[in-house]
Amino acid sequence: MSEQNKETRSPRARIVSIVLFILAGILIISSVGGYALQMTQDSKNSLEEMKTQAVLHAASEGLINSIAQQARAEKLAELRKDKNFRKRGLDEVNAICDGAMNEARAEAERLYANPVVQDQTALNSAISSYERALAESSSMSEKERSVFAEIYVQLVDNTSDWRTIAGTDVDDDAVLRAMGETAPDLLKDENAHLQAGFVQLARDQAKAQQEREDAALETQLKSLLASEIPDWTAFAGLEADALWVKLCEEIPELKDEERFRDTLIQTAGEYIAATEKGEAVSAPAEAEEGSVTVAETQADYRYFTPSEALQKEESEESDSYEQLYSQLVAVIPDLGTLSDKLQTSLRENIEKVLWLEDDSFSARYSMYTANQATGGTWKMQLAAVAKPLMLAGTAVLLLGLVILFWKPLTERFGVPRTIIALFFIFLCLMAELYNISVRMMLGNVFERMTMYGVLVLAMMPGIQCGIGLNMGMTIGCISGLLGIVLALQFNMTGFPALLFACAAGTVVSLPLGWAYSKLLNRMKGNEMTISTYVGFSFVSLMCIGWMMLPFNNPKIVWLLSGKGLRVTHSLLGSFAHLLDNFLAFRIFGIKVPTGGLLFLGLCCLAIWLFSRSRLGIAMTAAGSNPRFAEASGINVNRMRTVGTVLSTIIAAMGIVIYSQAFGYAQLYTAPRQLGFIASSAILIGGATVSKAKVSHVLIGVFLFEGVLVFGQQIANSVVAGGGLSEVMRIMISNGIILYALTQSGGGRRG
Amino acid sequence: MGEQNKIKAHLEKYVVTYLFIALSILFIVTSGLDINYVASQLLLRLNRNAFIVLALIIPIIAGMGINFAITIGAMAAQIGLLLVISWGITGLPGILLAGLITLPLGSFFGFLIGKLLNKMKGQETIGSLILGYFANGAYQLLFLFIFGSVIPLNSNVTIVGASGVQNTLNLTGSVGLYTAVDSIAHIPFLLAVYLGCGVLAAASVIQFVRKAITAKRLAVGLIIAAVIAGIFSIPSIAAVVNGTHGRELKLPLVTWLLILGLCLFNSTIMRTRLGQKFRAVGQNQTVANASGIDVDRTRIIAIMISTVLAGWGQILFMQSEGIGTFQTYAAHEQVGLYAGAAILVGGASIDRATNLQALVGTFLFHSLFITAQSAASAMFGNSAVGEYFRAFLSYGVIAVALIMYAWRGAKQKKASQINLAEEAAKA
Repeated sequence: MSEQNKETRSPRARIVSIVLFILAGILIISSVGGYALQMTQDSKNSLEEMKTQAVLHAASEGLINSIAQQARAEKLAELRKDKNFRKRGLDEVNAICDGAMNEARAEAERLYANPVVQDQTALNSAISSYERALAESSSMSEKERSVFAEIYVQLVDNTSDWRTIAGTDVDDDAVLRAMGETAPDLLKDENAHLQAGFVQLARDQAKAQQEREDAALETQLKSLLASEIPDWTAFAGLEADALWVKLCEEIPELKDEERFRDTLIQTAGEYIAATEKGEAVSAPAEAEEGSVTVAETQADYRYFTPSEALQKEESEESDSYEQLYSQLVAVIPDLGTLSDKLQTSLRENIEKVLWLEDDSFSARYSMYTANQATGGTWKMQLAAVAKPLMLAGTAVLLLGLVILFWKPLTERFGVPRTIIALFFIFLCLMAELYNISVRMMLGNVFERMTMYGVLVLAMMPGIQCGIGLNMGMTIGCISGLLGIVLALQFNMTGFPALLFACAAGTVVSLPLGWAYSKLLNRMKGNEMTISTYVGFSFVSLMCIGWMMLPFNNPKIVWLLSGKGLRVTHSLLGSFAHLLDNFLAFRIFGIKVPTGGLLFLGLCCLAIWLFSRSRLGIAMTAAGSNPRFAEASGINVNRMRTVGTVLSTIIAAMGIVIYSQAFGYAQLYTAPRQLGFIASSAILIGGATVSKAKVSHVLIGVFLFEGVLVFGQQIANSVVAGGGLSEVMRIMISNGIILYALTQSGGGRRG
Repeated sequence: MGEQNKIKAHLEKYVVTYLFIALSILFIVTSGLDINYVASQLLLRLNRNAFIVLALIIPIIAGMGINFAITIGAMAAQIGLLLVISWGITGLPGILLAGLITLPLGSFFGFLIGKLLNKMKGQETIGSLILGYFANGAYQLLFLFIFGSVIPLNSNVTIVGASGVQNTLNLTGSVGLYTAVDSIAHIPFLLAVYLGCGVLAAASVIQFVRKAITAKRLAVGLIIAAVIAGIFSIPSIAAVVNGTHGRELKLPLVTWLLILGLCLFNSTIMRTRLGQKFRAVGQNQTVANASGIDVDRTRIIAIMISTVLAGWGQILFMQSEGIGTFQTYAAHEQVGLYAGAAILVGGASIDRATNLQALVGTFLFHSLFITAQSAASAMFGNSAVGEYFRAFLSYGVIAVALIMYAWRGAKQKKASQINLAEEAAKA
């Protein structure tokens, strides 16, 4: 950029940023004013007043709704008695009923919408005492529920086989003891009230597991029918018994599966019918083709039982509600006529108004106004929006700063890193605005960092040695997966399994990586294109491999045919979450996966030390300036081989770490996109296709996963229905690779 | 000696093609499928795919490699189809309107693709692939969140109770787009073969009379025409296609006129000034630039043409016999992969491609596609292997082509370096 150009640009940026600063100043000052207003006694009083109004409104609205519904139901009953009822269309009937309902509603609103309060102080005190009781019992219940949820998640996440824990012949004590091994908290005395619920959970899970396995077996048997019997015409017209006998003759395996007899005969009937119609026999899908998504385990509170102390609190709460209710009836006498069902819903509504998880000024204000309370002086309104104003002010301030310092920032951090980091900050502000716990999400981000960290690290030696983004790291990933299934084949568990998987993965990836590097050494200048397609081809080739390799442990091969590996392998009971749970502790309510972070740190340290060693320096030199390196006596091809093999081996270890953190190992097409994910992460961290540092790996993995985790949560609360976060992932991930390509392209045409 | 070298060079160039021919024959035999069934399926797939594969030729000649960004052309076409379905325009007018919408959309997208690819010269193949992935994200954004809310659509194509377009749209029935082009006119396949041979023979004679070709080439043309016509006159072969056993093969006339039209377009444009520019830019950008050609502009034009053509190809694909549904979020995903693999199977390379290679490639690639599953069933007792084998073939053939291209480039570079060194030594 020329000098002149620089000068003409700078003032404009300065003006824009000054405007933004002024705007930010206004926003922040008014926000501070809003916070100050929240403190005044005046607003506190009017908030209390609004609360009473909101409670009364909830009560009267419940009554009005019930009257309106009743009127509608009566009208419908009246119409039904009429002879001409059937002649009327649905729309007409609806219109008549709605008319009656609206009439009744208007009448009820006239009567009840503005209740006159006789004894204001008594009502107020009833409301506050109920509010207090509600708060006590709710916070206690929440505490107990969170203990329950913790144990629940621990159990469900770490139990692979419920049937051995809670088979039909196991008594309750034994079930508890078995569960206590996974979740020691369950056996503590203060949690005794939860135990019965968990025993029930174990029994239900065992049953569900049995049903799932039966269903899978049934699907397999059905597809076996479709594939083993080429011609169904011979079966046409047979009676059920004869059909079964003949089927068993054709497929001997069926004899042991007598319990599926009826469904299979029915399926056979469908196939026969299809064949007669000349259609192809289509077997049901055998495998779950899609990938398992990382879903948080949600506790199921049906299994929750409250403790005695909580029960006492709850009964106190009910008592004070009764008092409040009697006050309300005093104001609106007709409330007493409500049915039981409406009584409960009335109580729920009042509870909703009075118990807010977040009892800040603005949350209460918006809850009360949502219930028609009027308190809308400008002071109250300003006080209520103090928080969004503050967040908006911060955002505008930051924007101004960034515009002012755009040049030094981008020079220091690079354009993509700056933009993604800004986006991340923006997401944090959004999370604050939507009351999403930033703390919890940071916990998630750390978990995912340990998951992806080593995989991203695998990109580094590749970039350093000059082959650019090693899209063919899937070769290493597949070696690692092979190590994992070998460990599963030999029924290994715990740390030996993890170590074996890593070691076996390394052993397999060594020759593969070597051969792959020899290929890339002949393809200088085209590595990225070639490595992408070599990686893709290898994944597809190994899809056949997974089918044909002679694994025979019944836990990992298809149930019935006894050959071919399944798509998804649960590592529960082998080494799932092993590293993550190692020395793990909880701080501020987030779980820190110490083992995983330590391992990632160790790997980073090892790579950093390596890049400082003679060999590492020679390798980086060969990558950054091959001609100069050649001239100074470095064997460039050998250095590239070292880098590529190293990258492949780290990828093999990375997928093992990834699988243990994920809890599942996924074969077949699942590893295909891993190269892209790792590339985009390291590029976001600030690496280019020819330069990378350990810090790029760590920053990149944090920013990438951070944006994904935060983005997903926020997208879910902003737009109903998923999909937006996936769109964001696709666009960020591929956009960053495209950007890196435009930065590297042009000069490299060979 | 010279003759031997020629044969060797030819074999080297077409090694993938011959491998695929051998594999096809092996698969057709082992699959045990009825030959009439294979032939009819093959014809169906040729009708569907030939147009898209032909759309790849121009960027290849302009030196931009396999344009995997044709998926974006397919997306443009799908936007057109969606609008047409939403507006309730049926039959041929609907298809024509969708094609009309594709024209500006595809050109605009093509312009953007071209701009971007100009910034990553030498990496176009991988660049266009990733651009396709990126565009897939934008496409989902458009179809899930913008269509149905910002851009109003008829409620019969949106998801009930949410914004966004349904997962699958029906093209049959009252929508009336199914086989809107295919069903205009059909002619028996056998008749089409004889007509084709006749046209070939006539064209050869005319060209010879106009002294455009030598007597040798006239003879070759006439012999080819006669041999093909002769083969299909053999009763047992004719029986496969004329419906004596199984169904009669019929050619959708308009679709094939369009395909042949595109072939003609591809070969005609190469004789124009623009075509000369494509070729010049493809061979050597520095030289082209020195001779006054605007390299970047030429490349953008090549990509624009390819994108629009791919869009039209996708419309032909969607309306074709046996499809019937529009998989809103998946229909475009494999377009680039299958088309790219097909043209490479036909013997094209990263920098050279002809109409014939595209057609032959489509034929061979899909003959494997049809038979792989049954063949794998017969050979390994497992039909899923066939499914994975197909994916492996698609990716593998592209990988091999890329490797061979890079290898050749490295060899040439080495040779020129040796030459330079020798010259330097002489001096």
